[in-house]
Amino acid sequence: MKIVGLESLVFAVDDVRGAARFLVDYGLTAVDVSDRGGRFEAMDGTAVVIARQDDPALPPGPVPGCRLRKTVMGVADEATLGAIAAELRRDREVRRLPDGSVESIDDCGFVIGFQLTARRPFVLPGEISNAPGGVVFRPVNSLGVPPPGSVIRPRSLSHVVYFVPDVMKAEAFYVNRLGFRCTDRFTGTGPFLQPAGSLDHHTHFLIGAPPHMHGVEHFTFHFGGPSEMITNGYRFVEKGYQAFWGPGRHILGSNWFWYFNSPFGCHIEMDADMDQHDASWQPREATASADNSQTFLLKMRKKWYPGPGIPENGDYA
Amino acid sequence: MATTRERAPAGWVRLCRADDIGEGQSRGFDPDDEGQDSLFVVRWQGQLHAWRNACPHVQGAPMAWRRDAYLNAAGTRVVCHAHGAEFMPDSGLCVQGPCRGERLIRLELVVDVDGELFVNK
Repeated sequence: MKIVGLESLVFAVDDVRGAARFLVDYGLTAVDVSDRGGRFEAMDGTAVVIARQDDPALPPGPVPGCRLRKTVMGVADEATLGAIAAELRRDREVRRLPDGSVESIDDCGFVIGFQLTARRPFVLPGEISNAPGGVVFRPVNSLGVPPPGSVIRPRSLSHVVYFVPDVMKAEAFYVNRLGFRCTDRFTGTGPFLQPAGSLDHHTHFLIGAPPHMHGVEHFTFHFGGPSEMITNGYRFVEKGYQAFWGPGRHILGSNWFWYFNSPFGCHIEMDADMDQHDASWQPREATASADNSQTFLLKMRKKWYPGPGIPENGDYA
Repeated sequence: MATTRERAPAGWVRLCRADDIGEGQSRGFDPDDEGQDSLFVVRWQGQLHAWRNACPHVQGAPMAWRRDAYLNAAGTRVVCHAHGAEFMPDSGLCVQGPCRGERLIRLELVVDVDGELFVNK
């Protein structure tokens, strides 16, 4: 079951124009967008797809009010697609769609799809730190801080986080039926899950929650590094979007994070520099709390240096 | 009450002209310069309602997804754009989502004789 990761997330929205503007301002590239919806791609072609909430072609959500209608995963080859279809057909309906993809439903009501991955490989170095004694350095005269006006784009769809009413059942489905592995776990909350065809710390994170919270906590794309991601976040705030938590760095997964409110009924995150693990990794277990979720949290001070028009203590005053 | 924009009673703050907020619209305000809107006003079925910008499901969670965007597209529900909780614009009652049955915190509003909108913080 070599699932390589998320391919796309499909959302039902009540304001296509507003949601489209939001995704473009986040950094995604609009592809085939109309007043009925469209596709918004990262650099490798992974995407968020939006459609009007009254679009009859949309699959149902797990519960009323959940705007996520489908989670599409990519697989490496046709054999894997066939194996997934055969496995799921043992106890549920599996549809082959006209585009050759497979559609079914997971054990917590989320519609899931599988397709041959359409990720476009690309080579573009990520953020490099200049460290005395280091081996890899940025090219001389290149800058660590993204200059004003530079283009920052999300690179790849990273992960989705589900609120599920029965986290043990949900975990068992992804592990036993689809070949995911638990990389780390928050005790009593849920597992970080990695599919067999990816080294990312997680593509899915499951949070056990009461039935009325059933849905999505957040989803996110990987950016090229913390400086790029945080610069993008500040630009996003300046455009009027609402930050929720961040910028900071998680402990489990080590990914830099910044969460924002969104028109998708869940948070959207920007992330960078997530740990990679292989099958030799031993899962850790921690108690879920803010202290165990953030290793640090950054705060901008716009005025910290005395100068014309600025109080002696900047905005510490 | 007799209120003028120059001299509001203690605790009252001028927000904007009342008719600046049209039917089915919302607007956030930051009267204490906290760097983030602490309250928002919506007009629904003609009436103005002021609510703290704090979703009851997480203490103090800000609710808009973009500046001043506190409502659904139809202008019929206040929405917390953290997890999609929906509230009645006039009663603040959560009717769908993580805090169903809980309420937003209401702030008192008054429109003065000149049509200026004041909130009691």
